[in-house]
Amino acid sequence: MLSVPVLTLISCRWAKARALPAVLLMGSLAVGIAVAAAAFYGGQKFVIDVSQVASFSFALSVDRLSAFFLLLICSVSLPVIVFSSSYIPRHYSGARRHWLWALLPLFLMSMVVVVTASTLFAFLFGWELMTLFSAGLILIDGDSEERRHSIFVYLLMMHAGAAAVIGAFLLFLPHAGNFAEMRASATSMPPTLRTAVFLLAFVGFGTKAGIVPLHLWLPRAHPIAPSPVSALMSGVMLKTAIYGFVRFAFDFLGGGPSWWGYLVLLTGCVSGLLGVLYAIAEHDLKRLLAYHSVENIGIIYLGLGAALVFAANHSPVWAALALAAALLHCLNHAIFKSLLFLGAGAISDAAHTVDLEELGGLLKRMPLTGTAFLIACCSIVGLPLFNGFVSEWLTFRSFLAGSEMSNFSAAIILPLAAGVLALIGGLAAACFAKVYGVAFLGRPRSREAAIANEVPLPMQAGMGALAAACVAIGVFPGLVLRSLGKLTAELLPGAELPQAATSLSGILPWIALSALVLVASIAALKRTKRLTATWACGLPGLNERMQYTSTAFSKPLRKVFSQVYKADRTVEVVPDGTPYFPVSISYRSVRTTSFEKSLYRPGVDAIVAAANRLRQLQTGNIQIYLLYIFAALIALLVFMRFV
Amino acid sequence: MTLAMNVVQVLLLILMAPLVRGVIARLKARIQNRRGASVWRPYSDLLKLFRKEDLVPPSASFVFRLAPIVVFTATLVVAAFVPLLHGSALLNATGDFVLLVYLLALGRFFLMLGAMDGGSSFGGMGASREALVSTLAEAPFLLALTSVAIAAHTSSIAEMVRWTMGQNFFQFSAVHALAFVAIALVAIAETGRMPVDNPTTHLELTMIHEAMVLEYSGPSLALMEWASAIKLTVVMALLIALFAPWGMAGSLSPLAIAIASLVLLLKMTALVAALALVESSVAKLRMYLVPDFLGVASALAILAVVFTALMR
Repeated sequence: MLSVPVLTLISCRWAKARALPAVLLMGSLAVGIAVAAAAFYGGQKFVIDVSQVASFSFALSVDRLSAFFLLLICSVSLPVIVFSSSYIPRHYSGARRHWLWALLPLFLMSMVVVVTASTLFAFLFGWELMTLFSAGLILIDGDSEERRHSIFVYLLMMHAGAAAVIGAFLLFLPHAGNFAEMRASATSMPPTLRTAVFLLAFVGFGTKAGIVPLHLWLPRAHPIAPSPVSALMSGVMLKTAIYGFVRFAFDFLGGGPSWWGYLVLLTGCVSGLLGVLYAIAEHDLKRLLAYHSVENIGIIYLGLGAALVFAANHSPVWAALALAAALLHCLNHAIFKSLLFLGAGAISDAAHTVDLEELGGLLKRMPLTGTAFLIACCSIVGLPLFNGFVSEWLTFRSFLAGSEMSNFSAAIILPLAAGVLALIGGLAAACFAKVYGVAFLGRPRSREAAIANEVPLPMQAGMGALAAACVAIGVFPGLVLRSLGKLTAELLPGAELPQAATSLSGILPWIALSALVLVASIAALKRTKRLTATWACGLPGLNERMQYTSTAFSKPLRKVFSQVYKADRTVEVVPDGTPYFPVSISYRSVRTTSFEKSLYRPGVDAIVAAANRLRQLQTGNIQIYLLYIFAALIALLVFMRFV
Repeated sequence: MTLAMNVVQVLLLILMAPLVRGVIARLKARIQNRRGASVWRPYSDLLKLFRKEDLVPPSASFVFRLAPIVVFTATLVVAAFVPLLHGSALLNATGDFVLLVYLLALGRFFLMLGAMDGGSSFGGMGASREALVSTLAEAPFLLALTSVAIAAHTSSIAEMVRWTMGQNFFQFSAVHALAFVAIALVAIAETGRMPVDNPTTHLELTMIHEAMVLEYSGPSLALMEWASAIKLTVVMALLIALFAPWGMAGSLSPLAIAIASLVLLLKMTALVAALALVESSVAKLRMYLVPDFLGVASALAILAVVFTALMR
């Protein structure tokens, strides 16, 4: 029971709802980072078990896998809380501020419990609280019919997912009490039961992670939360689902037949492609970022799928590489996506909107926010020398290794998945060139954007720290990769990270150094500069309306991929029947994701129709109700007679 | 000695790049029955631009002046991947093909950002179109390189080249034929040549690459132009090195180097002539036909990867 640090961590969490909430919270997060780092880098184990003193089995323990995710949660949350310490007082007052400071630590605590739980009860306790606290945090930002509907969809899908997760746990009965027993009993399970467990975990955790087509809640719930909360939900909360899935698929079940891997791989391809395609069509920055979470979860699933395929084909070394790639991408995505959402918060703080069409030229007015956001954009696109590249490169490398396998289908499918990943990367590059170009470059498109001011220091510090982490991991991936290798060796027995993984950590610092020297020396060359207006084709001058908008920028790609969008367009010309000389033309284009129309709508309609049918039973007439009771009694008696 | 040779290769690629452009322009002029400018013209253009001042729009941020530097640097690093005269490059075993593709993407990303910082409609127009073309070009480029990597059992460009040098020309597989055509098609899109983009156009409405550098002038424009020339030369050198490396020096003796230089000159001339011929005889594609053009490249690249599994 070497549990003191974890205990202080959690007690600190509980205490903080009163005075100096931010400082206390930062302190406890720092303790959390220390615990996680000791466990992740040093391999120490921490356990607290209250089962002996309490009547329920509640135990937390930190092994390397837990430590990695604990490190992720605490180290990403810390800058987010630093940011919030200035953002929350600026935007919220009175009861809403108190609620935020009360719920934020509870939300973080629930996530910590999820990744450190070692009994069924503790896990589900954290899992349910995580959903409820995040829903509470979303509610703080206001109340309207539409928001309530979004939260309803969020809660509904989360509980459906939780049902699947509980199902996956219960299939381990009678060994479902704690994780160690579950691990031991999984080896003797019949294959069909193992498959059922896998599928339930896949669906249950997939709902939380936001894989297509279970992603419906994600673009609804994330944009309407306060920006730091969106950062935590998108950057950190989604990763607890990956944790759960890895815990089940690799730790408990120890891999399975290769079709599990192909299923996960296919899900990754679909989520990645559709996520980024939907993102391109958006011009609300926070919705766009939410769709990019779907995309990045897709990339993580590509790595997980490849790892399962490799494990099924008896090449644990490459499975370790693919798994390390997926886990590293979890960390990287947590860092840059939190940074992007914080950037969106800074933009809304300065320009009072996150609609890209109203922004522009922010980099000149907000240099630090703009630079941090640029680093985040480069990272999420996967450009070299930024962290996103490292994990995508590892994923590519494991796909390439797929060609070495004797299994014919694996040797074709895995290398082809590299093409899908490249397409996702290319689309993401297009999307973030749009985001950054429209929001931060060029001329301001609205008065608010023109008079925007840089955000206060704590907000800059939060973003700066995350941006520094992006570059640090991008240039020195060995910082995390070496210990990730030990983690994958624990999950997949006998697997050392292959030589290929380390080759990149050897070369990246040198490329960074030479690139830096080159850039610096070219920049140092004496170049006289003169300010002069952009050429306006001989007209008096350009104005901001002549710039490409976000919608215009994405038009070619939306046209090429029009099959994906299936927009409903209506054009109204007034007066009717004069197509050439109208008084006014109004144009509307509504895009609902085709899943809503074709997958969810029929199901929802059927349930509503059935409910309407059943309503006819409720007449309000007491005689009829007595008749129901009498009929039920007779039916029961008859039933009992024949059983 | 090898290191010195590798440095020479990079320098050669960088310094030769404007000449390649000049020769293409001159050949095109001849095919079109014009006399054309001197082949050394791009050098004097660059010199002139470097001596001029940078004109910067008042609304532009630091990205506007940073972009040309990043584009140039990224292209320069890419030049260190490609063997030219012998089967080795500055980034030898670590010169990974994924890194190469993504370094090109890094340059392109900043090119688009720089274009959008000008605040005119043309920059956004060029960037938007470049986003379409480059997005669809990246996947076939990477897949085709993957197929060659699978055949050579390595991910390093230089090692792939050495492996190909060891093969007999007549044992060359269908994988390489497919990958060659795929990469050649992608190279046209990537370097902005006909029929995807017209590098000599003067009409803003049809521009892609030219629209993106429209607001640049002086040294910044020189860096952009030089970078795009280097990119063209590097992609040509990559095609030669991956698919026809024979004749590269096996040892570092002066004779072998001399022969290798001569052979390289011949191969480059052949490629340049082919490019000039194609550019003079083909009309530019309508922009929404470019996805079909790259679709062909993608299909070939996918086939190449499938064949690697079929033919082992």
